[in-house]
Amino acid sequence: MTGKRTAKLAARLAVLSALGVMISAPFVWMIAASFKPRREVEDTRILPREPTAKNYPVVLDIVPDPVTKKYLGMRFGRWYFNSLLVATGVTLFQVLTSAMAAYAFSRLRWRGRDTVFILYLATMMIPGVVTMIPNFQMMVWFRFLNTYHGLIIPAAFSAFGTFLLRQFMLSISPSLDEAAMIDGAGHWRIFWDVVMPLARPGLIALSIVTFLGAYQSFFWPLIMLNEDQFFPMSVGMLALDSSYGLQTELIMAATVMNVVPLVILFAVFQKFLVKGLQLGGVKG
Amino acid sequence: MRAVFGGALAAFAVMYLVAELTLSRGVPEGVVRIRWSTDPNPARTIQTRLFSELNPGVEVVVDPGSQQKLIVQCATGTGPDVIDLYGIEHMRSCAEAGILLDLTPYAREMGFAPENTYPAIRDGLLVDGKQYRFPCNVWANCVIYNKKVFDDHGVSYPRKGWTYDDFIEIGRRFKTTPSKSGEKHLAVANYYNVWFFQDLLIGCGGRQFTPDGLRSAFDSEEAIRAMRMYHDLMYVHGVLTPPSEAAALSSQGGWGAGGLNWFSAGRAAMIFIGRWYIVQVPNWPNLKGCLGAVQLPRVGERPSAGQCGSRAAGINVKSPHRREALKFLQYLASPAYSRLIVADGDSMPPNPELARSGQDLVNEAVDDPEFHEPFVEALKSARPLDYSPYIDASLVQRWLSERIGQVENKLVSPEEAMRSLAAEINEKIRQNIERRPDLQALSSRR
Repeated sequence: MTGKRTAKLAARLAVLSALGVMISAPFVWMIAASFKPRREVEDTRILPREPTAKNYPVVLDIVPDPVTKKYLGMRFGRWYFNSLLVATGVTLFQVLTSAMAAYAFSRLRWRGRDTVFILYLATMMIPGVVTMIPNFQMMVWFRFLNTYHGLIIPAAFSAFGTFLLRQFMLSISPSLDEAAMIDGAGHWRIFWDVVMPLARPGLIALSIVTFLGAYQSFFWPLIMLNEDQFFPMSVGMLALDSSYGLQTELIMAATVMNVVPLVILFAVFQKFLVKGLQLGGVKG
Repeated sequence: MRAVFGGALAAFAVMYLVAELTLSRGVPEGVVRIRWSTDPNPARTIQTRLFSELNPGVEVVVDPGSQQKLIVQCATGTGPDVIDLYGIEHMRSCAEAGILLDLTPYAREMGFAPENTYPAIRDGLLVDGKQYRFPCNVWANCVIYNKKVFDDHGVSYPRKGWTYDDFIEIGRRFKTTPSKSGEKHLAVANYYNVWFFQDLLIGCGGRQFTPDGLRSAFDSEEAIRAMRMYHDLMYVHGVLTPPSEAAALSSQGGWGAGGLNWFSAGRAAMIFIGRWYIVQVPNWPNLKGCLGAVQLPRVGERPSAGQCGSRAAGINVKSPHRREALKFLQYLASPAYSRLIVADGDSMPPNPELARSGQDLVNEAVDDPEFHEPFVEALKSARPLDYSPYIDASLVQRWLSERIGQVENKLVSPEEAMRSLAAEINEKIRQNIERRPDLQALSSRR
């Protein structure tokens, strides 16, 4: 019996290890390539023979390219900052508007509430490409091209976020609202002091998902921005992708720096993300 | 909870303020700024700077993007002023969508008419007799080789007038002759399989369509021969690397740009590519003094020939800065701009007066006139791929690419691939003509 159990465990571990290697291999390759000198970049060896950290300051424009002796001239620091700014703004506003909408759809009773909710949810079924041109046209009318708010405001409202938080809020007992009302609290107070603290796992989960999405967003910033001073990293890094002079080691160094905030965010909040998504998925 | 949101809002407000305060705002008074949708090649900075020096009061901003960005922006009237168009199919699509300005009324007077560039690419600037673009650079593929790798194996360099049989023999020798250094080398680093096939197609005397454009010519004897040759170079003679092996060799999981790096790192002896390859040389000092070039191999007794093309710029019909955008095209035709192209090696200059011989093209990256000479010669015999007005050219390109993939992976024979491709194209042409009265009128006129 014990032998059978050990064999099963070993098989399970072997499968999981194989999957783990498959999933982590591209990341290992990315990190290893970011420490390779250019002449080694097409080498089939994963680890560099002569590791160098110089690719990082080259991308940051702190030192010139060791081969060409020229600065890359990219505004990497600015793009980094822009990515963080836009992702922070989108996360903040999307979580806030989603929470407010979720409160209205879960705690307030009003005529047509469920119909409106279903209609709101139905917007998730429309592919983004279909609404791309009308959305962009609105941005043109509002003069939002080449602005930060042009990236933040359209992403500040989310049917998915509303749905996720509504599920959370439905799981919070209505008797808490009633007790607060007896104590003289209005909806605003109940929202902030009763419902929001109890919906914390959902809020954190939504914040992480939103931040990741906004940080990696590519196509919307690409069409909204024409000036490189506004570019987030995702768009700015296009400058490294030129078939005229592909420099894989620099692309990898830039990519590593790009994903570091996401990895940290995920590592710190992983527990909340899993818990939040599970709770939101089960209750309703 | 309020404190958390309040704190986050305050942090965001500070970040936003810092971002806004550190922006450079607006266009200086008296300056017109035009947007050029092109690739973010560092050479663009030098090119735009020279234009501004020659045209005080006009600035050019490089706006990298994609076809989708172009479509969305042009559909809403906010597109770039000058648009790079990478192929005839791209130009045709944009012209038919009404995005491009008809340059014919301005071109002759301002010096950027088709006559101001190479005869081989003139037709590629026109749609239905109207000019829609002028080249930023012009290309025709040759074979660039690394002399050091040839010397290492004791193999003679390819010579002018060589044939595919010579090419196969060189490939064989690279396999059978060990190098003095002990390193292994590939004979060829594949770059872009569709281009390779298209060069073979033209080399075999084939075409994509019948002269009236009403039928595909991919099922012709020449086209089938070209695909058969492509297959045999890979699987019978072993000169080209099959995709599965390429995926194992290149760190990028296949050829494409990985092929460029493979050749640049001195791991392959040859690459089929345009003169623009030498933009890479400053990144790879080991290549300095080692590069040679020769025209594409001949197919049997046929003369050496391949396709040619250009990255050419058109003007957005809704550009608010039409006058300045036209000046930019005038600049592209100028000797000053062509001299820049010669110097940085970004293909051939659009002005043929600056590329009459290999000596004219000598630059810092490759100072050997004999290297540049084949590119001058190649443009004399090259021709652009033919297109049909009855079918979207990008669709044909996509279907061709799929068939090449099937042949490379031995899913179909070259003959089957070409015949089924021709049948699919012919069916689409038939459907298009049936649906569109303008195409019906055109076909009846022809």
